[in-house]
Amino acid sequence: MKLALDEYAHLDSPFHRWDPRYKLVGFLALIFAFSFVRDLYMLLAMVVVTVTIYIVSKLPVSFMLSRLRYPSFFLLALVLILPFIAGQTIVMSIGPLDVHQEGLHSVLLIATRFLSILTIGLILFGTAPFLTTIKAMRALGLPAILTDMVLLSFRYLQEIGGDLRKMQTAMSLRGFQRHRFSLRGLRILAWLGGSILVRSYERSESVYKAMILRGYGHAPHPRGEFQTHSRDIITLGVFLFIAALFVAGDILCRSGSAVLLQ
Amino acid sequence: MHIPDGILPVPVTAAGYAATAAVTWYSLRKINQQENPRREIPKASLLTAAFFVVSWIHIPVPPASVHLVLNGLLGAMLGYFAFPAILIGLFFQAVMFQHGGLTTLGVNAIIMGLPALVAYYIFRLRKSQNKESSRKTAVFGFLAGAVAIGMSVVMFVVILLTFLPADLDVGAERVAIYALAIAHLPIIAIEGVITSLLAVFLQRVRPELLERV
Repeated sequence: MKLALDEYAHLDSPFHRWDPRYKLVGFLALIFAFSFVRDLYMLLAMVVVTVTIYIVSKLPVSFMLSRLRYPSFFLLALVLILPFIAGQTIVMSIGPLDVHQEGLHSVLLIATRFLSILTIGLILFGTAPFLTTIKAMRALGLPAILTDMVLLSFRYLQEIGGDLRKMQTAMSLRGFQRHRFSLRGLRILAWLGGSILVRSYERSESVYKAMILRGYGHAPHPRGEFQTHSRDIITLGVFLFIAALFVAGDILCRSGSAVLLQ
Repeated sequence: MHIPDGILPVPVTAAGYAATAAVTWYSLRKINQQENPRREIPKASLLTAAFFVVSWIHIPVPPASVHLVLNGLLGAMLGYFAFPAILIGLFFQAVMFQHGGLTTLGVNAIIMGLPALVAYYIFRLRKSQNKESSRKTAVFGFLAGAVAIGMSVVMFVVILLTFLPADLDVGAERVAIYALAIAHLPIIAIEGVITSLLAVFLQRVRPELLERV
């Protein structure tokens, strides 16, 4: 199972070269500006900006598509439910069900915002090694305990996941039928989870000893890991300006349509 | 049971981040007051990863299957480390599986994390009278698991339907809240039973894992 997003972190694009600290601030500002948008014209602008940033990032389209597995269920549920239950203005009828204009508007709004934010998030975490992004978060003020926890849990996620797969294979080989529901089966699955927890706990004791031997808690944090160039600050300025434009544009568009309605 | 990006308005996601920052600050303050907080970090981190992996175990509920959440047991075992652990787990979910979201990380952390802290206090009650027994561990394990997931379901459904940017009829909204809550009843029962079985298992195999409470 591929956990990390950074398989294309080695490519060369303006976003790959951007100082990760500034990139975090710039992309997060854009993400929050996107979640502010409610006007349909601004949604169109959002799609244009998202597609442009994705093209500039040089990430392959297959990377984006491979990450849509879970989200596609959510989008499907949205399309199948909201147009029928939200709103009053009927635009068409399918058998006994009425499709409402307001519901369609909500689907368009949520789906566009969702896909745009998801894409920007993928570019943010896909254009730098995951550990570099975490270090950038630390440099931006993420508490030391949280940073250590993120790094350590990320480090062991793959291995503990491997433990689970091995134990599930062993259970299947011994005749356990994991698709059949029974109280005995529940107990066995609970023990499986318990064994994973106990193994991880035991492993953590040796990890702690190894960390102490290597000076954990005493070595100073490395400084000067990131170097800022003027282009980093200029790119951040551009991103903040675009984010501000989205917020201002949405407020203006919505107040304009409110005036027209009066 | 995580709210994705694009649904909630900015004031709600901002409030979620503010509340998460406050609870995280309080949790870290409590952790730093411990005798040797650094000693606990590897334990809490590996257990965070282990809980993340355990949530991949699917429980068959014919005709489908559900995955475990176990925020109750996580609270019971990790105490004040539970909230940071859940925050990290949700961050991994959002970044690695696009499940949940970056703007809704704060709200989702509150939905999952506050009930975990409540479960921590519930599970602690088993030590309040007499000495502890397997039966007491099982009962309080069930309560911690069921109450935590139950609280999360209620918070999730209410926040989702209240702030959904769609013009829902008040009556339809109420029906949807009840329907979604009832649909989650089997999940609440299964989480309670699994948490109870797991707590008894851990008490027999490695009791110090439950020592924190």
